[in-house]
Amino acid sequence: MTPLLEVEGLHVWFDLADGGELHAVQDVGLTLQPGERLGLVGESGCGKTTTALAIMGLLPPSASAAGRILLEGKDVLAGGEATIRPHRWVDIAIVFQGAMNALNPVRTIGAQIVEALELHEVVRGAAARDRAGDLLESVGIPARRAERFPHELSGGMRQRAAIAMALSCEPKVLIADEPTTALDVMVQAQILELLDGLCSDFGLALILVTHDLPVVAQLCDRGVVMYAGRIAERGTVEELYHEPHHPYTRLLFAATPDLDDLDQPIVSIPGAPPRLDRPLEGCPFRPRCDRAFERCETERPRLRGFGDGREAACHLDQLVSV
Amino acid sequence: MRGADYVLKRLAFAVVTVFVAVTINFALFRLAPGSAVTNLSRVPHATQQLREALTKQFGLNKSKGAQYVIYLKQLLHGNLGVSFENEQPVSTNLRIALINTLPMVFLGTLFSIVIGTLTGVIAAWRRGTPTETLTVSSALGFYSMPTHWLGLMLIIIFAGILPTGGMTNEFLLNPPFWTHVRDLASHITLPSLTLGLVLYGEYTLIVRSAMLETLGEDYILTARAKGLRPWTIVRRHALRNAMLPVATLIALSLGYIVAGAILIETVFSWPGIGRAVYEAVLQRDYPMLQGAFLLLTISVVICNLVADLLYFKLDPRITE
Amino acid sequence: MSSAGIMIEAPTTPAQTRRGFVLRTLRAKPAATIGLVVLMIVVLVAVLAPVIAPYGLHTQVGPVFGSPSWSHPLGLDDGGIDMVTLLMWGARISLVVGFAATVVSMAIGGTVGVLAGYFGGVVETILMRITDYFIVVPDVPLMIVVAAIWGPSLFHIVIVIGILLWTSTARVIRAQVKSVRERVYVKRARALGAGHTRIVLRHVLPQVAPLLIANTVLTVAVAIFDETALSFLGLGDPSRVSLGKVIENAFERAAISAGAWWAIVPPGAVVALIILACSLVGGALEDALNPRLRVAHLSARTFRLRPLVGRSDSAL
Repeated sequence: MTPLLEVEGLHVWFDLADGGELHAVQDVGLTLQPGERLGLVGESGCGKTTTALAIMGLLPPSASAAGRILLEGKDVLAGGEATIRPHRWVDIAIVFQGAMNALNPVRTIGAQIVEALELHEVVRGAAARDRAGDLLESVGIPARRAERFPHELSGGMRQRAAIAMALSCEPKVLIADEPTTALDVMVQAQILELLDGLCSDFGLALILVTHDLPVVAQLCDRGVVMYAGRIAERGTVEELYHEPHHPYTRLLFAATPDLDDLDQPIVSIPGAPPRLDRPLEGCPFRPRCDRAFERCETERPRLRGFGDGREAACHLDQLVSV
Repeated sequence: MRGADYVLKRLAFAVVTVFVAVTINFALFRLAPGSAVTNLSRVPHATQQLREALTKQFGLNKSKGAQYVIYLKQLLHGNLGVSFENEQPVSTNLRIALINTLPMVFLGTLFSIVIGTLTGVIAAWRRGTPTETLTVSSALGFYSMPTHWLGLMLIIIFAGILPTGGMTNEFLLNPPFWTHVRDLASHITLPSLTLGLVLYGEYTLIVRSAMLETLGEDYILTARAKGLRPWTIVRRHALRNAMLPVATLIALSLGYIVAGAILIETVFSWPGIGRAVYEAVLQRDYPMLQGAFLLLTISVVICNLVADLLYFKLDPRITE
Repeated sequence: MSSAGIMIEAPTTPAQTRRGFVLRTLRAKPAATIGLVVLMIVVLVAVLAPVIAPYGLHTQVGPVFGSPSWSHPLGLDDGGIDMVTLLMWGARISLVVGFAATVVSMAIGGTVGVLAGYFGGVVETILMRITDYFIVVPDVPLMIVVAAIWGPSLFHIVIVIGILLWTSTARVIRAQVKSVRERVYVKRARALGAGHTRIVLRHVLPQVAPLLIANTVLTVAVAIFDETALSFLGLGDPSRVSLGKVIENAFERAAISAGAWWAIVPPGAVVALIILACSLVGGALEDALNPRLRVAHLSARTFRLRPLVGRSDSAL
């Protein structure tokens, strides 16, 4: 089956004010099948959001990129804006963190949904307004709220409205960038449930970008763990949780407190991610790793496959058999 | 009505400010030392009748407190005294002067807003290119030029091509309508151009800054993600938001416009409010000076109020 | 912070450390450096005017509105005086007035701003209301009126200009002081029983200083403009020759009709240059104090493509 989305060897650099460059994404690849749900996991600044934006061609002017991004077999990165734009929203859509400014504050949410509908010629005029109302209802917002401005809605409702807008043109892939961060726990659960339901009902493929592991565990089939702009490990969610290869993955999952086991000591990962504006020697995780040894200092680990989509970039997996 | 109390608050503030301005006006002119200033009836060459009438009208032989009250009363009737220079009511002089000034200032301001916005958007759009540097440099350059000096420069450049003084050609007696219009148009060009050039730079900088700020907002990214074309995004999402500070700026600029008008009218001998102030100063025509000053202050207050309300209407986020 | 966009964590030193802040900002922005250099040259010329002026300030060296020549590159004014000399002396007076008026304005505005921001409450409300009224009154007409009543002298002009320019300073300083007041070390100092004066002098003022400097530079520009305007309208000090006065003299004596553009263009050009230089420097300082960390998502340029890279392990 042709994957819906294939990313190969993606690199992204950002120009810095002092003339240097930040190598934010380094040789990232992933595949997405129709209906599949992929979690893109990592700390802030690890490059996951940048990867998501690159997929949609939304990098800022200060960026440069290399690699291949194949949407249904067509390279949309090489083709530039003209190639990707026709696919935006109709084939692949994105929902940002529903903070105040992801929606235009001076236009009503109804108008913004209608804009998407009319732009892609799904419906026009009064039909578009009705459809916007239906979309809002489908995410649990009363249709009459379409006349409201974003600041008049709560954070959770804004997020739902953004989801409604993203699905308005029936895309095949939905990218959700930190959809539950900045929402309180109850609302988080509701949003996740909503996403779960919508993806199932419409057979959407989902890329869930987040630092929040329980979310990935709940919603996704497969996961990709990123660290310092590179892929640390990938596999199914169960594999990552129960049999992590990469120490970072292991520590990430361990760092999430388990409500059922209150005696468990709280684990945190000391230190901070490395700077990405200069080339690194060795493994980027070494300073914070609890299992590092000499080789980690000089040689950067390559991403090794273990079959069945299972990969990890760590020298350890040569020594340890799982 | 949304934010009725906001509107009321701004209205109240405007009223109080006018009141304060009136009081300052009174204090400045009546309480300042020097009898020439305190006495509105000292119109040179006035008849005894006129003097007595003015003294009675303004209660000039009563206490300062009583004079203040009477002054307020007279203001409400639109009586600003009589000009020392031409012995006409100050209010009449001012009205004529104002009618002369408004078209010139209006044209100049329009020019500056339009050109300023255009250049500001271009500068933001073409960030980091020579176009931006050029646009910003020109804006700063013109902005730094003293208004009257720029007027003089334009006169030097355009002398012989465009009229450089006055509002009309005095030698045209009873011209037909269109000749008259053309005459006015050619005379208004240089003064309003001067005003426009001096003012536009500030708009360029503000619009550029607001645009850059707006273009960094998340909803621009959302708009791009939706598949909108860049120029559509600028027009429909960014421009609207970026123009909000412009509304405030227009109000703040009014002080400069008034000052600029004074200088421009002096350079181009334009018979408007600015020139009236200048000549009143030269001739120590205190009633005119007092009246003009009051008029200018009140118009700035009104324009500030309008700008406040406009901003309030444009930005749905303001609800206080 | 834009959550949907990208926060570029560029490793730079924080821009707010006071020491060297001004210098660092100027080095980063070439426009500001040019502005500063221009200003320094003008100030130098003005200070040295009595020494380096080629001719006497009141010495007639040729006919009225004499044209430019080798010995008088900028010609002569309406009194037959060398223009270059006039420009040097004129810059001197204009700068003196500009700086003096700025000092007055800064003193008033800074005090009002600090008091209002630091004490808050009733004090702040009263001071800010007063400021609001001053803002609304149009400056130049008021200046004209006061100068006309009070009489022309350098001292009066300085005071008049200073009295009207303080409002923007007051507002800006107040906002900054309010934010500094909330900072931890100020609260700690209060808790330890430090007096208000001590806190203001040792903690608040240093933090506010960069902003004050930026505002001062911008105020100088406006002060010089105001002086030029007042002189042009005949309200300047008649015994002193400022750049504004030079322009006014030329205007009064119909320099344009005589074709003597050199009597008008250079003095105004010098004023424009000074104002431009101040705007560049002050603007750069202000920008540096409000860094725009957000990346523009949209512009005429788009992100660039690079050719495909080989497998990751090659040095990147």
